[in-house]
Amino acid sequence: MLIQIQNIFKIYNEGKENEVRALGGVSLGIDNGEFVAIVGASGSGKSTLMNVLGCLDIPTYGDYHLDGTDVTSLTDKQLAHIRNKKIGFIFQGYNLIQELDALENVTLPLIYQGLGAEERMERAMDALRKVGMDDRAHHKPAEMSGGQQQRVAIARAIATHPPIIMADEPTGALDSKTGAHVLEILRELYRGGTTVILITHDNGIAATAKRVVRLSDGVIISDELQEVDWQ
Amino acid sequence: MNLRQSFKMALKSIWGKKMRSALTMLGIIIGVAAVVIMVSVIQGQNAQTMKMMESQGTNKIEVNAYKYWGGDVSQELYNYCLGLSDLVVGVTPNIQIYNEMTIQYGSKSYNTQRWDDWEDMVTVALGNDKYGLCNNYQLAKGRELSYLDVEKTNNVCVLGGGLADKLFDYLDPVGRYININGNPFLVVGVYEKKAVDGWPEWDNLVLLPYTFNRTLNGNSQISSYSVKATSTLAATEAVTRLQAFLTGLIPQGAGDFYVQSNDQYIDSMNEQLLMQSLVLVGIAAISLLVGGIGIMNIMLVTVTERTREIGIRKAIGAERKSIVAQFLIEAAVICGIGGVIGIAIGYAGTLIAGKLLLQMADPLLPGAGITVGAFAFSVVLGIIFGMYPAVKASGLQPVEALRAE
Repeated sequence: MLIQIQNIFKIYNEGKENEVRALGGVSLGIDNGEFVAIVGASGSGKSTLMNVLGCLDIPTYGDYHLDGTDVTSLTDKQLAHIRNKKIGFIFQGYNLIQELDALENVTLPLIYQGLGAEERMERAMDALRKVGMDDRAHHKPAEMSGGQQQRVAIARAIATHPPIIMADEPTGALDSKTGAHVLEILRELYRGGTTVILITHDNGIAATAKRVVRLSDGVIISDELQEVDWQ
Repeated sequence: MNLRQSFKMALKSIWGKKMRSALTMLGIIIGVAAVVIMVSVIQGQNAQTMKMMESQGTNKIEVNAYKYWGGDVSQELYNYCLGLSDLVVGVTPNIQIYNEMTIQYGSKSYNTQRWDDWEDMVTVALGNDKYGLCNNYQLAKGRELSYLDVEKTNNVCVLGGGLADKLFDYLDPVGRYININGNPFLVVGVYEKKAVDGWPEWDNLVLLPYTFNRTLNGNSQISSYSVKATSTLAATEAVTRLQAFLTGLIPQGAGDFYVQSNDQYIDSMNEQLLMQSLVLVGIAAISLLVGGIGIMNIMLVTVTERTREIGIRKAIGAERKSIVAQFLIEAAVICGIGGVIGIAIGYAGTLIAGKLLLQMADPLLPGAGITVGAFAFSVVLGIIFGMYPAVKASGLQPVEALRAE
């Protein structure tokens, strides 16, 4: 198993009157090379689950093994390394740094990896080429459309060649045509062997995934494989 | 994250908020400029004083001795100094005449009372054959006053190099007569110019035998003398001896005296300058502290504004130390730029202060030490006051930081 979580709880304000159980005991295993959609309504805990899976947040209780490593016992620095090398994030709001142009944004994770300038440039341009944004390399986010920004964000996520891509509502802010294009890029990554975890509230998008995990009120209510016609 | 990238980012973010960055830098600029100007002016003044004292010779001892009755101590002092021949090489009365006197040669005329024009004011001094020796003048031409000139009150004089040039242009003054208040005086010698900034009167000198004190100085009591010691060390010893001698000669209540070597004067001057420097630098340090707090304030605002960016950076794998480095470098760059601007203003201010306050002929500029020190200090200031905001930024949890708008 690439990802193995066991009985994960995420509880805010534990023991207080305003206690919130975002995750109430979630167990899930994801294999290398899967395309999983995690689906749920707003407030179902799906974003919290992604934050935990992406090592952005620490669960209150429970075990998490990523690629055989017990993530819950790692230091800040080790978590930063995992986020840098193993996981590529794609967010609903793109989360590009506004002051940097496309190329600089894509280069950023490679800088944190400590790569040399030449290799950084090569890999960043390569990633931009894959999403068809190499001709916009020196445009700032403000000079690009939402779809273009999301493609740059995808380029940033794949620049380090991570084994896992986590996409949190990647099409949420895009029109359907652009959204379809973004999904196609994710499928392309999947075909290349990358594990893709897609978080969405949209059943239409969930229908295109090979495996659908449904979440409600912080617990998994269903987990099934489905036939899809895109392969 | 490598350093070059961090600098680029820092410059970009500073340039992106020009007005705010400029205002932030203002505190540092003013503080650094103030420190540079103050330290440079103090150093300049110090150097000037040193040069002035050196031109007088460090072996020189000033003696002031005054008796309320019974005449001056010239003869006793002279005899005593003869007995100190291992310590003292000469003694001379050192009197300046403050009456209005006109010195004339041909159509050219100079006056002792030109207070409005320092460069052209003449000093008329009275002394003996050891005047040049005791006051560190070198003869350029002719001879010193002689013992006989003093004894006989001869109408002779020695001119300072500056006045000789002004009166005679390219003529040789030795053997010619000048008029002092209408009386002819034979020029027997000319001193080399000392050419010390701020002291033109040392070269606009007319030296007459001190026996003219009776007629030209209203026969007032001779009370100031210059003594030349054999060495700086001998000067210290001679001061002690002279003090003991004068204590015996002028009992308490019968008069007053005062003995100080140039060396001691330099020491006390240095002490005074050090005190002044400490006070001024203390004030400047307070202004820099205020500037530093301004930096901290603005960096905290920057961290809050860029919480989301910090979250993104952490999400894609930035370690704490990368975030700390980013904000520290930004603070250090702001302060460094402020420091450079402050130093530039400090240079201009020092130049102006050197001209206006110290009236130096050569331009006064800050030394390399204070320049490098001021720059290094401003960068360190940025790092110190940027530390708290940077650590605060690096401690943000990625999820919470990403949630920020």
